[in-house]
Amino acid sequence: MTIPSSHLFIQTIILGLLVGGVYALMSSGLTLIFGVMRVINVAHGAFLILGAYLTYWLFQLTGLDPIISIVLTAPILFLIGWGVQRYVLTRLENPERSSVLVTFALAITMEGLMGTFWKTTIRSVKPEYAAEVIKFMTYRIPVTRLIGFGAALLVLLILYIILQRTNLGRAIRATIQDRNAAQLVGVNVQAVSALTFGIGIATAAVGGSLLSMIYSFNASSQTDWITRVLSIIVLGGMGSLPGAFIAAIILGVMEQLTAVMVTLYWSPIVFYLFLFLTLIVRPQGLMGEIVREKA
Amino acid sequence: MKRILFSNRFWLVIILIILLVFPLAQHSQYYQHVMIMTMMAAVLSSSWNILGGYAGYTSLGHAAFFGLGGYLVALAHNYFGWHPFISTWFLAIIVMGIALLLGWISLRTHGSAFVVVTIAMVYIFRLVALNLPEITNGARGLTQPRPGWGGVQWSPEFIKIPFHYIMLLLLCLTILVSWRIRQSKFGLGLIAIREDEGKAEAVGINTMLYKVLAFGISAYFMGVAGGIYSYFFTYIDPQFIFDVFTGVTMVLIAILGGRGTLWGPVLGAFIMEPLGNWIIGEFGGTQIHLTIFGGILLMVMLFMPQGILPTLSNVINQRHKARMAKVVA
Repeated sequence: MTIPSSHLFIQTIILGLLVGGVYALMSSGLTLIFGVMRVINVAHGAFLILGAYLTYWLFQLTGLDPIISIVLTAPILFLIGWGVQRYVLTRLENPERSSVLVTFALAITMEGLMGTFWKTTIRSVKPEYAAEVIKFMTYRIPVTRLIGFGAALLVLLILYIILQRTNLGRAIRATIQDRNAAQLVGVNVQAVSALTFGIGIATAAVGGSLLSMIYSFNASSQTDWITRVLSIIVLGGMGSLPGAFIAAIILGVMEQLTAVMVTLYWSPIVFYLFLFLTLIVRPQGLMGEIVREKA
Repeated sequence: MKRILFSNRFWLVIILIILLVFPLAQHSQYYQHVMIMTMMAAVLSSSWNILGGYAGYTSLGHAAFFGLGGYLVALAHNYFGWHPFISTWFLAIIVMGIALLLGWISLRTHGSAFVVVTIAMVYIFRLVALNLPEITNGARGLTQPRPGWGGVQWSPEFIKIPFHYIMLLLLCLTILVSWRIRQSKFGLGLIAIREDEGKAEAVGINTMLYKVLAFGISAYFMGVAGGIYSYFFTYIDPQFIFDVFTGVTMVLIAILGGRGTLWGPVLGAFIMEPLGNWIIGEFGGTQIHLTIFGGILLMVMLFMPQGILPTLSNVINQRHKARMAKVVA
């Protein structure tokens, strides 16, 4: 273990915060879906990678900027997500119990299909500004990370406004609080679930576009990403958006610090350790409520 | 005659005889290989079933214990010269010990959260194996000498035969233990936990102890199988042996055959493993393999969530009832 200089320390924390913002966006959809349906969407990582591949594809074919391509990828993935909830998950007799295996099956099917279609070569999207760095005082900030952070915050803000200010948002929040009561006062829970799943997957599309320019990826990267976002929502408290945000920032910073202070290779273990520690010490997470399993 | 034909014991003996003479009658290296892998899949899936089927805790992380068994046996062979066919039975006790500890931590969670923890378990093991190169040789993996006994290496024509019999022995043991558990009070307790953990606790079952024990027992057989596997291939590396897909495959096999039944995982293995080998042989790439396995799991979960054996027995029971109704009328 090496103790970094204070300059390197602050530089690392800045990078950690920027990455954390992107993580927050990636996990927001997952925690929202869990909140509304009590379903852990293990295919979330695969949807992130699908978003990344669509972005990569558009960039290769038309030179479309990864940020602008969100306008196309988000609606496509929204429709897919809506369809998955509407036509697959509603068929399950006991979704709370079997949804993990079903979404896991979906994840490996998607991984296989993407691997067949786009091969296993490791890809990333490199727009002209990919290598540019902004100097802020004496700290160096890669432009792509800054853009990613900004885009993530913007989408989270839109999500927040939808949840707080629209009728759909009110229906979603009501369903999170009490599904049966929401149904009693006239919320169409089935429709809300399908829309929420769509919105959740659309945020994964945005996350995937940002991923494609910050990281390199191939189909099998989905497993790395699903463990990251799952650890984040477990730490934050499953179903809690503010919790996911805080947890994403904490884990983003911790990951960067481990990469600098120990080695890059050990940094993923931060997520697994936090996952285990959370489940032992505080199973409901930072901001979650204790959810009773219904048999 | 009819009674003999329909008795389970008769069919068991027939299957056992077939498995005993198989490598002597079938000289094709390919089929011998597929048979060994099929029996191993049946071992993995049957022992997964002790926790996942009886107690209803879906672990996707049992590949961690499979891999750990593989590494311990390979290390003991390379450093101390312990023969894997013998050492694997003892080294798997260490695997079981570690599993008891991990089970004690992870079994505090229920349902989906438990599944997530077990996935993380595999990645932690993989990360440790990758990052301790002084012991595990890191990403380059561990190699063992070519299999043999008492200083004599087995010839390529003969090499599969000892592995066939040791795997058959392990399979018989696994099924025997799984059967004994099912017949026992311990097994009843596990099934009670699956049906309603709160009520099981209320009627005086020490649910934590039961679950952790089931976790440990299932990990023991994983460890033994992993040890034999690492010697069979004489090479293991972290990416390959600590693979969540291995865990998914055993779950798929158990669910396909009939989760929570004694013979379901065995039946599932004899369907999926030859199929998997055929797919890889026919299409080459692992990507198509992944797609088809994922697709099958999805279809089974959606359209036949109980698996083959329970679905079949439901159909037979219903026919029987209909016939009895006719007789009575």
